[in-house]
Amino acid sequence: MTASLPNSTPKTASRTVLEARNMTRRFGGLVAVNDVSFDVREGEIFGLIGPNGAGKTTLFNLMTGLTPPSSGTLTYEGRPVLGLAPHRVAALGMSRTFQNIRLFRALSALENVKIAQHTRTHAGLWRGIFGANRAEEMQVERRAWELLDLVGLSDRAGEEAGNFSYGDQRRLEIARALATEPRVLLLDEPAAGMNTSEKGSLTTFIREVRDRFDLTVMVIEHHVPLVMNLCDRVAVLNFGQLIAMGDPASVQRDPKVIEAYLGGE
Amino acid sequence: MSDFLQSYGFLLVTLIQAGLLGLSLYFPLMAGQLSLASPGFYALGGYVAAIMLTNPAFAGLRDTLGNGIFPLTWLAAGLLCALAGVIVGVPALRLRGIYLALATIAFIEILRVVALNLSITGGAIGIFGIPQTFGFQDRWQYLLIFGPMLLLVLAFTYMLQKSRVGRAFRAIREDELAADAMGVPPTQYKVLAFVIGAVIAGIVGSMSAPFLNTWNAKQGTFDASIAILAFVLIGGSRSMWGPVVGGALLTAVPELLRFLQDWRLVINGLVLVVASLYLPQGIVGALGKLRRSPPPSRPPVAPTTDAKGGTP
Ligand SMILES: Nc1ncnc2c1ncn2[C@@H]1O[C@H](COP(=O)(O)OP(=O)(O)OP(=O)(O)O)[C@@H](O)[C@H]1O
Ligand SMILES: [Mg+2]
Repeated sequence: MTASLPNSTPKTASRTVLEARNMTRRFGGLVAVNDVSFDVREGEIFGLIGPNGAGKTTLFNLMTGLTPPSSGTLTYEGRPVLGLAPHRVAALGMSRTFQNIRLFRALSALENVKIAQHTRTHAGLWRGIFGANRAEEMQVERRAWELLDLVGLSDRAGEEAGNFSYGDQRRLEIARALATEPRVLLLDEPAAGMNTSEKGSLTTFIREVRDRFDLTVMVIEHHVPLVMNLCDRVAVLNFGQLIAMGDPASVQRDPKVIEAYLGGE
Repeated sequence: MSDFLQSYGFLLVTLIQAGLLGLSLYFPLMAGQLSLASPGFYALGGYVAAIMLTNPAFAGLRDTLGNGIFPLTWLAAGLLCALAGVIVGVPALRLRGIYLALATIAFIEILRVVALNLSITGGAIGIFGIPQTFGFQDRWQYLLIFGPMLLLVLAFTYMLQKSRVGRAFRAIREDELAADAMGVPPTQYKVLAFVIGAVIAGIVGSMSAPFLNTWNAKQGTFDASIAILAFVLIGGSRSMWGPVVGGALLTAVPELLRFLQDWRLVINGLVLVVASLYLPQGIVGALGKLRRSPPPSRPPVAPTTDAKGGTP
């Protein structure tokens, strides 16, 4: 276990992959995300924290096309993201997990991971019907097993995803997100529902995944030790607004952040 | 053998027809869409065949093609229903659950009213004297077209379920939003599933018009929607065998119980109630539970794995 390594520095320290500008989302009178701007650099692990209801999940929903924005822009590698349908965002190379796990519960773990290779494969109706998709299917199958190996679930490949423990479901969701072959991975509270030992190995796991797949990672997390260990930079949301951003240690000392957490609960 | 076919040929064809219509409803259901439109496309396909086989406008074509006109009616019905499927499906599939079901019932009703009022469909009287397919002398001979059609549709369904498209359907059925987020475009695949169902129902209609000899606005009504839905629910909506078993059973049981006279309706009703209470996953679903499917097996390791996905 290498759980307490110092924070690794991103390989390329400067290149920006995500550029959010003035992102806003209103729900009636409530401004869930309020004029939020930030840059995410290639290869970094970017934390997003904030009290309950601060707008973190809504921000992810905006970024992945699940919720249309009220205003603002987001570019990925210079290309506009907001306004695209979720499957287009996935095709661009951004994939996510869900705070309230959304696996295909009645389907097997293996099938969950196979399904998510959709955008990277091509066999249409007729190639499937006439069995002319063999090579591609083999590739899909192999890749699915490799991803299950990665999250340690290949022994249970045939089991229904809904039967797995919380921790296993979270890991399966990560495997499924990786199956879309993303360049940016967004994790919404990956440690929620995990037991202590699972939480302990999560830091190492996320770093390994980042290195192996050359990813940029954004992670929403409440568990403070995890955030401090894992993230290169952290942004803090409060009532929809970005109130602080920087390295974990300085954010933790920021009076505005302390105030938000103490005042919030 | 021929005695058996003489007595039961008509019934057997009807069973297969029921199974096929069950499968046509099963397709949208595969992608999680409860559509009751099958009887509408069945009616439409039947009218296409009936018109092509009786209308004087097609007399020249019939003379030139001879028996070739029959396969052409299947093709025409399939194509027209595909087109109608897109036209109806694209707007209707924006609706969900029971609202989609209601919209598809409205579609059936509109078709019925249109058929009642057009002269090309024979108005209220309908079209009769439809010639027998390939000059068949006996009803059982229709097994020769309905049988292969069922096998073809089953093979098609089997291959589709194993493929990328089948996975996309299942993903949408399980969780449309998650499917979308994982790169599966839901609208496109919902329309595809709907259109496949429409084409199957349409071709079955075009084969049924000569079989029944006459075609009118009583074909493919709302009652039929409910009957076909029952085929799928009783048989099982999670396996392609469900609609076939359900369709055959719910068509055969009332026939075989004819000797019970009025009691058969009671028995039939009881079967429905008992099945829906005790077999919520349908007959095939319940049988499937008994048979443990083997765990999936790993494919052999590829000689070269790419750097990104390869196990280190
Ligand atoms: N679809 C919606 N309709 C109306 N209000 C919404 C909707 N989604 C989120 N909200 C509101 O927006 C605010 C931000 O919610 P969000 O889920 O983004 O918070 P969060 O930071 O992820 O909180 P948590 O830490 O509890 O997950 C909340 O007040 C929430 O009630
Ligand atoms: Mg949240």
